[in-house]
Amino acid sequence: MLAVFKREFLSYFRSPVGYVAIALFSFLSGYIFINNFTTGSVNIASEVISLRSFFVVIVPIITMGLFAEDKKRGTEILYYTTPIDLFAVVMGKFLAAFALYGIMFVNVFIHMIVTKACNGIVDIGAWGSVIVFFFLAALFISIGILASAITDSQIISAIFCFIMILVIQLLSTISSLIGSTIGAFLSVLGVKAETSNAVGEAIINGINWLDPFTKTADFRYGVFSVAPLIFCISFAIVFLFLTFRILEKKRWSNG
Amino acid sequence: MIEINNLVKHYGDKKAVNGISFTVQDDEVLGFLGPNGAGKSTTMNIITGYLSSTSGTVKVNGHDILEEPELAKKDIGYLPELPPLYLDMTVLEYLNFICDLKQVKKSERKEQLAKIIAMVKIVDVADRLIGNLSKGYKQRVGIAQALVGNPSILILDEPTVGLDPNQIIEIRKLIRTLAKDHSVIISSHILSEIQAVCDRVVIINKGKVAAIDTITDLSKRLSGTSKLLLSFKGDAKACVNAVRAVPGVSDCKIRISDNDIHEAEVTVSGSSATDIRTSIFFTMSKNNWPIMEFRSLDPTLEEIFLSITGA
Repeated sequence: MLAVFKREFLSYFRSPVGYVAIALFSFLSGYIFINNFTTGSVNIASEVISLRSFFVVIVPIITMGLFAEDKKRGTEILYYTTPIDLFAVVMGKFLAAFALYGIMFVNVFIHMIVTKACNGIVDIGAWGSVIVFFFLAALFISIGILASAITDSQIISAIFCFIMILVIQLLSTISSLIGSTIGAFLSVLGVKAETSNAVGEAIINGINWLDPFTKTADFRYGVFSVAPLIFCISFAIVFLFLTFRILEKKRWSNG
Repeated sequence: MIEINNLVKHYGDKKAVNGISFTVQDDEVLGFLGPNGAGKSTTMNIITGYLSSTSGTVKVNGHDILEEPELAKKDIGYLPELPPLYLDMTVLEYLNFICDLKQVKKSERKEQLAKIIAMVKIVDVADRLIGNLSKGYKQRVGIAQALVGNPSILILDEPTVGLDPNQIIEIRKLIRTLAKDHSVIISSHILSEIQAVCDRVVIINKGKVAAIDTITDLSKRLSGTSKLLLSFKGDAKACVNAVRAVPGVSDCKIRISDNDIHEAEVTVSGSSATDIRTSIFFTMSKNNWPIMEFRSLDPTLEEIFLSITGA
């Protein structure tokens, strides 16, 4: 696992990918911070939360090549014909992308230090957002890795990952749209208003349950709970395990 | 030692490999010969554990590749058709990475890599990016990769494809050196290549074993249909008739006539014990027909299959 981690992590810096991702993140976080700084009201928690909206761009960039490139170049054969375990390969690549995120995030820590130095406040809510940020990063990177394992084209992998993350980010909007539409449809069919409203409500709640953003919303106010974090980690593990199964299945494929 | 027993692999409806069995002894070089699409690469991919078979077993030094994959894979070094190289790494970085994958002990690593790098002659390029190397060097790095971890078995899938003649000779030399203390399986669709390095050949066609034989026995079987190419100046018709009259020649026909030079294909019947070329030469010289070129024609794979399957 360590071997794969080392190779993938270093390979980010042998190509423009690592630099582009870091530059992009530095620019975005720096822009938000300076904007707040000049108006005199720095809020690290809200900066970190704004940065979450760029998962949809940065995660596909750093994960698209992880397996797709191996397939295209034929290097994946190394993982099948050496004694290394395939799940260790998946974990190694996951950790490499995660570590790159960690390096990008150093920007925010610098902003925290600057804020402190200028007698600003870095409260528990800021740390809460940071924790949530990393758990969400783990979740989205695992989605990116899955996307990378299903195709040998980096572009398709990036698009797939982009759409998945976009859908998750818009989950609360999508849920009310679907819920209210179905509710309205039921009432047109002559179902009692109470029932159709209840069904619509249930659907909205059901879909919202999947939304990691609302689940972790309280962290920014310093209200911590374990359940949302376990939620993120469980889904990350599910996606990584699916990736592992897809790789494993390739060996048995008959087409 | 590798024991392959009744290997079958389906791709959808197509049977890429259909009941292949053979054994590779220790320190033996086995040639794996067949036309493109015969199932060579598929078989090799199954032996190395990259693909799984639909049915049948592969045992590497007694370990089943599916039941004890880690033990089996430790004994195999594999060079696939497309060498699995990371173009963004230097040769040394790459080989160290392979050491990690094959779990070579840290203490043995330096010595082992130095030995391999010297053996495949990539000392000069050890610090260069693989992406910047020529095809011949890339192939050697591919072989180096297979040698990491000291496997007792090497599986090389078309190791000389796309190389220039000098590089081909170098790689063959290398394979012969390696054969001294490794079992080697080499696939190829070129007969002369297999003849140059192998002790024994497995010929496969359409996913089935067409023949398993030693090189000398194979040549003997093939000698029944040996052919010569004769290119000469002079009267084509008269010459063909004269050559046909030479004892031991069963047929002679003109293949190409270009200006005043003709090219004829002479079929020699297998029974003649004496070298037919002497009599043909004297026949030609007696009639003052200058010989421009005279050589034996290598049988094509198709001819080998025809002669082996007796069709």
